[in-house]
Amino acid sequence: MAEALVVSRLGKRFGGLQAVHDFSFSVDENETVALIGPNGAGKTTSFHLITGYHHPDAGSSVVAFGRELVGLRPHDICAHGLARTFQVARPFGNMTVLANVMTGAFLRDKRLDVARSRAREALDFVGLSAKEQTPAHDLTTIDQRRLEMARALATEPRLLLLDEVMAGLNPAEIDQAVELVGKLASRGLTIVIIEHVMRAIMAVASHIVVLDHGQKIAEGKPADVVANEDVIRAYLGSGYVGRAAGGDSRC
Amino acid sequence: MRKRRIPAALWLGGLVVLALLAPAAAPSPFYIDIFIRVALFAFIGVAWNLIGGYAKQLSLGHAAFFGLGAYTSTILLIRFGISPWIGMLAGGVVAMAASLPIGAVCFRLRGPYFAISTIAFAEVLMLLFLKFRDFAWGAEGTTIPNFGDSPLMMQFDAKAAYYYIALALLAIALAITWWIERSWIGYYLVAVGEDEDAAEAVGVNVPRIKRHIYLISAFLTALGGTFYVQYIYFIDPNTAFNFSISVEAALVSIVGGIGTLWGPVLGTVLLEVTSALLQSWLGSSHGGVQLTVYSLILMAVILWRPTGLLGLLSDAFDRVVNAASLRGPGASVDG
Repeated sequence: MAEALVVSRLGKRFGGLQAVHDFSFSVDENETVALIGPNGAGKTTSFHLITGYHHPDAGSSVVAFGRELVGLRPHDICAHGLARTFQVARPFGNMTVLANVMTGAFLRDKRLDVARSRAREALDFVGLSAKEQTPAHDLTTIDQRRLEMARALATEPRLLLLDEVMAGLNPAEIDQAVELVGKLASRGLTIVIIEHVMRAIMAVASHIVVLDHGQKIAEGKPADVVANEDVIRAYLGSGYVGRAAGGDSRC
Repeated sequence: MRKRRIPAALWLGGLVVLALLAPAAAPSPFYIDIFIRVALFAFIGVAWNLIGGYAKQLSLGHAAFFGLGAYTSTILLIRFGISPWIGMLAGGVVAMAASLPIGAVCFRLRGPYFAISTIAFAEVLMLLFLKFRDFAWGAEGTTIPNFGDSPLMMQFDAKAAYYYIALALLAIALAITWWIERSWIGYYLVAVGEDEDAAEAVGVNVPRIKRHIYLISAFLTALGGTFYVQYIYFIDPNTAFNFSISVEAALVSIVGGIGTLWGPVLGTVLLEVTSALLQSWLGSSHGGVQLTVYSLILMAVILWRPTGLLGLLSDAFDRVVNAASLRGPGASVDG
């Protein structure tokens, strides 16, 4: 399968803190890859580096669909087909839900009616059609996440980077979100997802990459990764190594 | 809700007729002067609102463009005998050219830092015109040569003529804003005003759209500068680059309704009329009191209605009639 995203030797130093160090991974087309790790591991920083919000250190390379992204601005990267959501949802609060998504749709077509119908498709897809005239700041948490996904979808991406879209959701909402991510994947989208909810990761990811202290400590199939001693040590401490096998891996 | 629906065009038509007939109803030239100030500052407010209201880049340095417009046309008129009508457009172009370096520096900053840096540029321009006397008459300024009643030189005996020019400028600025509000540009501007990072994430080239709207805003503001010096027949750096012009441009939009089509117009009508009336009632007997009352009114509006008075008005309107034309973008950019 062709590679959608190839990240190699990604690094970022903030003053004395090496937030991401020598981080390499790749994502095949139509694959869903989960990026996991304890708080502060460098997951969101990696997203910022890939999508152009931070400049990576020298020697880093991010190639998406055959094009080097390092040095491009976020809007160029979006135009190249990489859309992202933010860890804390950032809707355009004073715009309606529909206007939010239309803003995304204008990337591919500046005509108002075309953007409007594409936006409605995206809203329909995430299940937010009923609230298209609601001001975005009035939405609940899950609806804000839906809105962010719809807005990202409206830019017609090939690769979607989802940053903790399930944080703060209740179990029933997590089920809905998992279903939505599954729908996105079956639509042919390549997805990289940062997530803490293990139940969700196991359900959606075909491949997991584990970060700790800015470095990759493991990667592989979900079942293998959750049994990996380094991963258990990073998440739970060394006392749990060997005990978790066959046990419950939910967080 | 839908008892009597009065079409937007009818409201607009009524407003236009009212505006056109205003000078005829004025009992004295004093009132026409107020009308002219209202039309002019509403125009500058609408121009400011494009960058300051929709894109929420709170510039407090629009006097820079006002002054450049005023000086460009005056220099062309006095040194080369070129009509202010042409000078007006030239001034607009000069202001556009100036907006590029100003924007390149100021747009790196956000929030209050942006506002402060724009003030600095306007002040620097004023100082340049004060110090370089050979270039443009320095601190003494100059009077505009009087050609009598000469429409080609933008000079009229009838005060109402100036009013109609200002009104035409206002109409042009409103038409531009109306068009922008209804196109993708309006959506992009509001998105930039809401959250620049999120706007970038959906493909908005934030620096470019800021630069472009700043160009348009600067151009329009400069037209106002030319008009103003032609109207008062005098120019000096303190008139052309006065900080109060920058403040007024922002204030009328903030009071009326930031990022809305009609907000600056409403704000100007309110502020200018209040200020003129207070001046004539209290100015002679109790010097300074009119400024105090004016400031209190401002504070009241900003405290109680921080989104501007247009919202208040259109809410009230919505309860009675359909006032779609009076609504701005933001929450009401609809499908």
